Amino acid sequence: MAKRLRDSWGSRLGVIMAVAGSAVGLGNFLRFPVQAAKNGGGAFMIPYFIALLLVGIPLMWIEWSIGRYGGGFEHSTAPGVFHSLWEKNRFIKYFGVIGIFGPLVIMIYYTYIESWTLAYSFFSLVQKYSGCTDRLSMEAFLRGFQGLERNQYFSSMAPAYVFFLITFLLNMTVLYYGIKGGIERFCKFAMPILFVFAVILVVRVLTLGTPDLAKPDWSAARGLGYLWNPDFSQLLNAKVWLAATGQIFFTLSVGMGVILTYASYLKKGDDVTLSGLTAVSMNETAEVVLGGSIVIPAAFVFFGPLAIGAIAGSGAFNLGFVSMPLIFGHMPFSEVFGFLWFGLLFLAGVTSSVSMAQPAIAFLEDEFDISRERAVKIFGAVAFVLCNASIFFLGKGVVDELDFWGGTFCLVLFATVEVILFGWIFGINKAWEEVHHGADMRIPGIYKYVIKYVTPVFLLVVLAAWFFQDWLPIMRMENVPPGNRPYILATRVGLLVLFITLAVLVKIAWRKRKIKGRPV
Amino acid sequence: MTTLGWVFMSVSWFLILSLAVFCFMKIFTKQKVD
Repeated sequence: MAKRLRDSWGSRLGVIMAVAGSAVGLGNFLRFPVQAAKNGGGAFMIPYFIALLLVGIPLMWIEWSIGRYGGGFEHSTAPGVFHSLWEKNRFIKYFGVIGIFGPLVIMIYYTYIESWTLAYSFFSLVQKYSGCTDRLSMEAFLRGFQGLERNQYFSSMAPAYVFFLITFLLNMTVLYYGIKGGIERFCKFAMPILFVFAVILVVRVLTLGTPDLAKPDWSAARGLGYLWNPDFSQLLNAKVWLAATGQIFFTLSVGMGVILTYASYLKKGDDVTLSGLTAVSMNETAEVVLGGSIVIPAAFVFFGPLAIGAIAGSGAFNLGFVSMPLIFGHMPFSEVFGFLWFGLLFLAGVTSSVSMAQPAIAFLEDEFDISRERAVKIFGAVAFVLCNASIFFLGKGVVDELDFWGGTFCLVLFATVEVILFGWIFGINKAWEEVHHGADMRIPGIYKYVIKYVTPVFLLVVLAAWFFQDWLPIMRMENVPPGNRPYILATRVGLLVLFITLAVLVKIAWRKRKIKGRPV
Repeated sequence: MTTLGWVFMSVSWFLILSLAVFCFMKIFTKQKVD
């Protein structure tokens, strides 16, 4: 049988756009401003930058490097990449399962949320929610759309399901055309548009001035002050440091296994140091410069200083899907700005969700010698069934549960394993050489010590702190209403079955490789 | 916004935008160090 040709990137800018696209997501525009405003404003940026320098950037370089290294052994996913880093250990490949499982779990609910942004951009254009003039009616609109209640806005969740199908099919289409023809082509078109949409919105928000002359304090400048005025007393709170570290994780897509998979399609002599840092810089520009200048200042201008605390505290989803439509309702050309806002979130969502699907597809391609087209079809069928759980059991807390395991627990655990594997097992000297192979930029020498000592310690501290603060109450379902507990339990059993299935597939794949005489 | 607020915002923006400019400048004048 002819050997299947591995996919590869078409250009350097393409891979940077794809990695930045994976990192830039809904969290850049919704989660970051809320986290910053809640955790000390400008002072939040101190732990944020420290976490970026000590955890985010090193992990980005590590994932790019080990991905490219594993790609040399025809492995695009963490089980194979981990095994190529620690050949003597038979079990390390099972830790790598997290790098397929985590992104898949996130993708299950993320695609559905992404479809809301597509729906809302359409609703903005046709002014479907223009009759909602206060928070209560806008919240009812969202609940009706999600199928959580029947009301004057929606009599069923059919519209939500249609938008989900469109979004899901778009994702599968991008994936079907492969790395170069699908993901790279889409990201090279979507990322510039996303930045243009964001810049237009920032300019609009920052030039709002004081729309209501009777309320001179309700201005964009004071809105920025709500986000940026530092409260140094917050720096003594450990939770603020954890929040900053968590934000760096979520925003850079490190610790998921997706960057590793993208990097596996690089050639041996391709640069990873400068490319990785460029992807970080693009993500941070989208988050701090653009993301920080839209929702909070806009909400401040239209809702004022008294309401802004409650709005920021209502969470990222309420901010995005309840407050922002109301804000646009106050502006001239509300349909255009609403469309730009939700269109921006949609593009950010698709570039992220395709990256979450890629590890599972690459696993089928590489380890089972399945063609890309067939792998996408198999993945699509499985993912479609799984996505329905998050659609129909949204009100039962299933999405929060998936988010905890896929989007929090797996992230930190995977990052800790890969940094120890790279810095200690593979060996820091060999690792340093690997990072700089084909490099366009030398990393400062101090990072040799950061990667070996500081990043692992930082991650172990975060793991321990989260274990004591959050995990035990979550494991005991302390904050889950009694009626939802059977659903949460069923979700956990389902996730366990999914993980075991993936681990069994890894075992079968390795056996097949051995029989065929391929390197394992 | 207070003066310190402006300082934090300006410094953060400056650091991030400088990093982005530095990276893209380097990409367009690429020279392998290996």
